[in-house]
Amino acid sequence: MAQTQTTATAVARPPLTAFSWKSAGIAIGALIVFDVLINVYERLYAFSKGLDYTSADYESYWMGMLFAELVLEAVTAGALWGWLWMTRDRALDRLSPAEELKRYWALGLFVLTYTYAAYAGASYFTEQDGTWHQTVIRDTDFTPSHVIEFYQSYPIYIIFGVGSLVYAMTRLPQFAKAFSLPYVVLVGSPAMIFPNVGLNEFGHTRWFMEELFVAPLHWGFVTFGWGALAILGTWLQICPRVLALVNHVYYGKPIQSPAEVMKDPQSSVNPAACAACAM
Amino acid sequence: MQYSQVDAEAKAVARKFDLVVIMSTFLALIAGFHVHQMLVAGDWSFWVDWKDRNWWPIVAPIMEITFPAAVQAVLWTRFRMPIGATFCCLGLLFGEWMNRYINFNGWTHYPLNFVFPETFIPAAVVLDIVLMLTGNWIVTALVGGELWGWLFYPTNWVMIAPYHLPVEYQGSLMSVADVINYMYVRTSTPEYLRIVETGTMRSFAGGVTGVAAFFSAFVSVCMYVPWWLMGAHFFGSTKFFKTYESASTEVKHA
Repeated sequence: MAQTQTTATAVARPPLTAFSWKSAGIAIGALIVFDVLINVYERLYAFSKGLDYTSADYESYWMGMLFAELVLEAVTAGALWGWLWMTRDRALDRLSPAEELKRYWALGLFVLTYTYAAYAGASYFTEQDGTWHQTVIRDTDFTPSHVIEFYQSYPIYIIFGVGSLVYAMTRLPQFAKAFSLPYVVLVGSPAMIFPNVGLNEFGHTRWFMEELFVAPLHWGFVTFGWGALAILGTWLQICPRVLALVNHVYYGKPIQSPAEVMKDPQSSVNPAACAACAM
Repeated sequence: MQYSQVDAEAKAVARKFDLVVIMSTFLALIAGFHVHQMLVAGDWSFWVDWKDRNWWPIVAPIMEITFPAAVQAVLWTRFRMPIGATFCCLGLLFGEWMNRYINFNGWTHYPLNFVFPETFIPAAVVLDIVLMLTGNWIVTALVGGELWGWLFYPTNWVMIAPYHLPVEYQGSLMSVADVINYMYVRTSTPEYLRIVETGTMRSFAGGVTGVAAFFSAFVSVCMYVPWWLMGAHFFGSTKFFKTYESASTEVKHA
């Protein structure tokens, strides 16, 4: 999205401080610290307190954690999504270009945070679950690794993913009136990994099997994981509009109004229109 | 305000957006590609005794040409960037090493030379180069897909060769990797020898690897095509569904 032309501009420009990394730094930094602490907890209490589901220690160290995190996640999801909805912009058709550009930056940081959380859940903690299962015999669906992977890391990325989608739908004209196919896939498909845990756990309970990680029982996770590829289409939708806004705000080039974008969002992702703006 | 300052501000903002796009795409691809890889070919990746000459050269390449093909479809057709496969495989390797080092080694204390992952970086670079030179995804499927399957075993050979050396252990002939398997008990992991060393696969012994790579290359070609198409037309789609108003209007008219 580099710009090469310089022309006069009469449009209000946002200050550069509006494009700060601070909020994503805080969010991702907090998630990293949290993930490290969770790993420490697991190292301290998985083997020492988490091998016998019927023990009192298991109840307090692992089932207690499970119930606490489920409650916290439900409250956080409700609060974040609810707040985003209740504070939605009801006059999006009159959104100024500078404000729209700032909101795209906020959306970018939201998506970045979501992808970190998705990496932690789908990559790091999921293979960590392989480490655990191939080392010890399972005696419960709520084994220590699952308490962290399934019921903690997955809901966390779902909270951020859905949150980013709600942000886009409530604050950006492009996403206000019509669902974006790639964005819905990017958020919805990995989110379905969490319900798929039901299939997985039923299967492992019904057929007490060796832990073959490539077992067909696990392929639901695989299929839903493919949805991460839709980040490509999502950025392909967003980038032309951001480029048009940069061209408009800094170089005074013509741009579609928010009302036009809301009416026909498909027109805002036409790379040809975008290139015409840059000419 | 100087034009040059406005220009500098615009470029600074555009660069920041570029960084967000690159970093988030990299993280998303690690998440999707790694969960795919570990659950369709992961057992072969986790353990050195599973890195055999029969099934590993078949399963790993054909399951892992998927994401590279899809990402190539977008990065090449939209941006003329011939880095899609390498970008994917670098992310996969990062995700794998993070867990092997911190968890397999750091938590459950298996030695790293028992749990190191395979690499697809060399094969991915070749796949990208074929696309760059030909500029044609069908040719890339046919030539690059074949090379992808053929190159996997040789480009990993340097890492696994020491573990394929034969040893006599308690009166039986086995490999160093097999002996490591017996030394480190994995309570829930199936014994791979029981699965792999059967029937004709064992009878044809040394000839198996070439045939496995040949078969793998064929299926890799076949896998590349649908994944390119999915990348180009579904995951890289920029489609919006109809607006609520227009959909409602159509329903009313109907």
